[in-house]
Order: sequence, then C-alpha cells, then structure tokens
Amino acid sequence: MRRGLAPLFFNLSAFVAALAVAPYTAPLWRWLFPDLQRPLWDSRSWFALLAEHLALALGAALLAGLIGIGAGVLATRGAGQRLRPLFDALFALAQAVPPIAVIALALPLLGFGAAPTLLALVLYAVLPVLRAAIAGLEAVPPAVLDAARGTGMGRLRILAEVELPLALPVIGAGLRVALVLAIATTAVGAVAGAQCLGTPIVTGLANGNAAWVLQGAIFTAWLALIADRGLRWALAG
Amino acid sequence: MIRFEAVSRRFGQGRPAVDRVTLEVPAGQIGVLLGESGSGKSTLLRMANRLVEPDAGRVLVAGRDIAGQPVEELRRGIGYVIQSVGLFPHWTVARNIATVPRLLGWEASRIAARVDALLRLVNLPPEEFRDRLPAELSGGQAQRIGLARALAADPPLLLMDEPFSALDPGTRRDLQAELRRIHAETGKTILFVTHDVEEALVLADRLAVLDHGRLLAEGVPRDLLADGAGPEIRRLFGESGLALHRLATRAAAALATPGDAASLPALPEGATQKDALLLMLEQGARAVAVAPDALLRWDDLVRAR
Repeated sequence: MRRGLAPLFFNLSAFVAALAVAPYTAPLWRWLFPDLQRPLWDSRSWFALLAEHLALALGAALLAGLIGIGAGVLATRGAGQRLRPLFDALFALAQAVPPIAVIALALPLLGFGAAPTLLALVLYAVLPVLRAAIAGLEAVPPAVLDAARGTGMGRLRILAEVELPLALPVIGAGLRVALVLAIATTAVGAVAGAQCLGTPIVTGLANGNAAWVLQGAIFTAWLALIADRGLRWALAG
Repeated sequence: MIRFEAVSRRFGQGRPAVDRVTLEVPAGQIGVLLGESGSGKSTLLRMANRLVEPDAGRVLVAGRDIAGQPVEELRRGIGYVIQSVGLFPHWTVARNIATVPRLLGWEASRIAARVDALLRLVNLPPEEFRDRLPAELSGGQAQRIGLARALAADPPLLLMDEPFSALDPGTRRDLQAELRRIHAETGKTILFVTHDVEEALVLADRLAVLDHGRLLAEGVPRDLLADGAGPEIRRLFGESGLALHRLATRAAAALATPGDAASLPALPEGATQKDALLLMLEQGARAVAVAPDALLRWDDLVRAR
C-alpha cells in the first residue's frame, strides 16, 4: 500500500461519519446557538447535498479538462502557436473574474440552477489545465518527436501515442488543481440555487441562521481538504 | 539507390544551408557525409525522408522522385537513426523496436520474432533487454536499440545522423565496428552523417565532404585523400594528420611483399596501412604479417606516399 493512503482513508471515513451523525447533533447546536429556533440544518440530507456537490465539481473539472487540453494541444501545433498568448490571456482573465460575479452575470442568460454554476466553475478551473497541457506537451523531447516523424508516424498518432502519454503526469497535475478548485468553489453555486454543500451557507445567510452557515462551511472546507489530499496521493504514483 | 540532384535549401535569409548538391550513394554502400557544424550535412540527410523539403532540385530513392510519394509511407520504408537516439521513453525496448512493423500492421507473433532477431543482431540478449525501458539503458545500448528500430521493417535504405557522436570513444569504436559487420550481413545502403574524420574513414565506401552547404569533394576516400587534395580538404582532415588519415584509406595488403612472416606480429584481415603502422609502433617491429607468407615492411610503408 502506498504511503498516505491510511490517513486519507481515515479522513474520508471521519467525513462520512460526520455527515451521518450530523442530523443527531441538535443538542450541540442548541447549546452553541441558544437564540436560534432551528439551529440544526435538516431541510435536506447531507448526503444528497454531497452527491450534488460532487457531481457539479466533477462535471466542471471534466469540461475544464476537455477545454484546457484541447486548447493546449491547439496552442502547441504549428500555426496554433500564435493563439497561445490569446488563450493564456483569455483563460487568465476568466480565472480572475470571481465565480460569484460570473454567476451573477450569467443568471439572466442561463437562469437559476446548475448551468450558471458550471459555467463559473469551468471558467475558474480551466487555466491550470491549459498551462499544464502546454507545459507537458512542450516538455516532450524534440529528439522523440523527430524519431516519431522519421519512423513514419502520422500527426494524430504522434499526439495520441507519444505526446499525450508523455505529457500525462503534468496534465494530471493540472487536472488535479482544476478538480480541487472546483470542489472548493462549488459552494458558491448555492447563490444560483444549485444544490450543494454551500446551500446551508446561503440559506443560513438569507435567514440569519449562523448555525447553518457554520455547518455548511465545515463540510465544504473538509471536503476540499480531502479532495486535495486524495488527488495528491493518486498522482504521486 | 539514393540520389540527390542539384538540391538546395535556404532557411530564412542568408546563405543556403544546402547549395546545389548533386550526390549519389550506390546500392549496398555506405556513403558518408562529412563536414563541420553548419556544413548542411544533416539538412541534406533529412531531405532523404522529407523531414526537410528542398527548395530546388529533387531526391530519388530507388530511382523514384520522393517528392510525389506519400510522406509517411516513404518514411516507413527508410530506417532513421539520430544522435540523440529518440527512443520513446514510455515504451519498452521491444515496443520501440516494433514501431514501424506495428505501423505496417504486422501480426504480433511476427513482430515478436523480428524483435528478438534484431536484438541478437545488435548483440543484446533478447530475454534480458526486451522488456526494459529506455531509461534503464546505457548510451551505447540505447543507440543499439535505435539501430534495431531503424532496421525493424527491413528497409533497404538507412539514414544515420551522427548516431555515435554522443557516445564515449570506446563505445563509439565498438559501434562503428558493429555497423560495419551489420552492413556486411544485411547489405543495406546507408547514408551516414558525421563530423568525425576518423569515423568517416572507418565507415565510408564513398565519402562526400560538405562545407557551407556546398559539396567540396566526393568519391572513394582513397582518391579524396590522395596527393593534391585541395586546401579545404587538407584543413578539414588536418594538415599534420593528413598522412595518417591517408594510410587509413589504403589496404595493408596493397604494400605486402612475399616472405616468411610467421614470427612477426599479425594484422587482422582487411587491415589498413594505418593499422599496420600503429601495430609496428606498438610492437616496436620493423615489419608486420599481412598473411602467413606476406609481410609489410616499415620502409615500404613510409615510401609509399
């Protein structure tokens, strides 16, 4: 067993256990927030929120991965190299806009729910994938490419069988960053009405219920930490 | 087998990298392109598999103009070996060697048999090397695999771009000898690029000297280094070393005289006059044996020029 798996497994188990126990912690929250009428979040199952949260984050990371890798491949081909500064500036700008602002701007067009959240997450997470894809593809030794061409491999075959496999470790690191960013940021989707671990935070803010805010924040941050550790372990090989 | 007809190529502004070169390597011979860096020798070689396209002139392989041929098909029919080897680092030795046979769609059993045969040809035990990754090879072993990969689909023509230049001197000499042996066994036509004068003389059946993109001289090494070689040739080979290089282009047997050579140091078969001189110096002998009944004397050697 690789190093780091046991603590990760323990962390994950503790997280799941905490989600399962949460509905039975009403006395704790009444004691912490004596002024609130309903200090315990019970509008929706924590596991349902977790599932929706992860689905959103994974979907966003997947889209960011496809776009980032696609743009990276394009920007490292002959004529496409001129596009590289454009892509980089564009994706850097996309990341610089806070996801909450993207959601606000997208709401009139895309309506409430998952769509504006996905858009915000993809824009936020695509830059590290693009940069990793370019770095990984550029790091393929020129001699290897020369040999590949010289042996009569076609462009697509060189990309699929030589360049992408050799760039994979670097691209994987970029995808990991994208996924962690997405998992850690998905909570803002609650503003747009997307169901996720951020929902109790937004609902709590709207209703002046600090206990819900705290419960949502704990699970959101905890999940982000687990995601980071888990991917670090997975990529360490 | 391969023929360049007045080919030129210019990169950007300035002097052409290759300037109206006409050159032919007959089938079954090793043609060496010799020149310093910037002489255009690699550019010329890369025109033979269309990694570089000429601006003018044409290149014929086996009598056919390659300009009109499908480029990937052309390259699969020409072995290609480069200085930095360029093995695919994520593939095993066997998979690397199998690159072109896989592209050609050979059956797995045929590929496996071919891989083992090639590993034996380049003197690496198949069971030991088949499953290694390139990172687990020494420089010399890696270039042997590079050579095996180039030979995999049995192409009649091999392009070798400074294949041994990055290797240690001992390893380089071993591989030069192996290439000579493999060439004798397979009868391939080889176009070989080098900047190393001694390497060129060890390998060349025909030698072409390039300078600033132009062909300075071309022919059998013995003729190129004969008396009256031009100043550029003298400079490239080194004024002081020219006489020694010239000896390397001549067979020891050409100067042999009959006599009892049984007690003399013996030269291997096919040795050059340079080998004979070095053996005399090494052994302190005034004559060496070319055959049991033929010997080469010091006096004949120094008078021969």
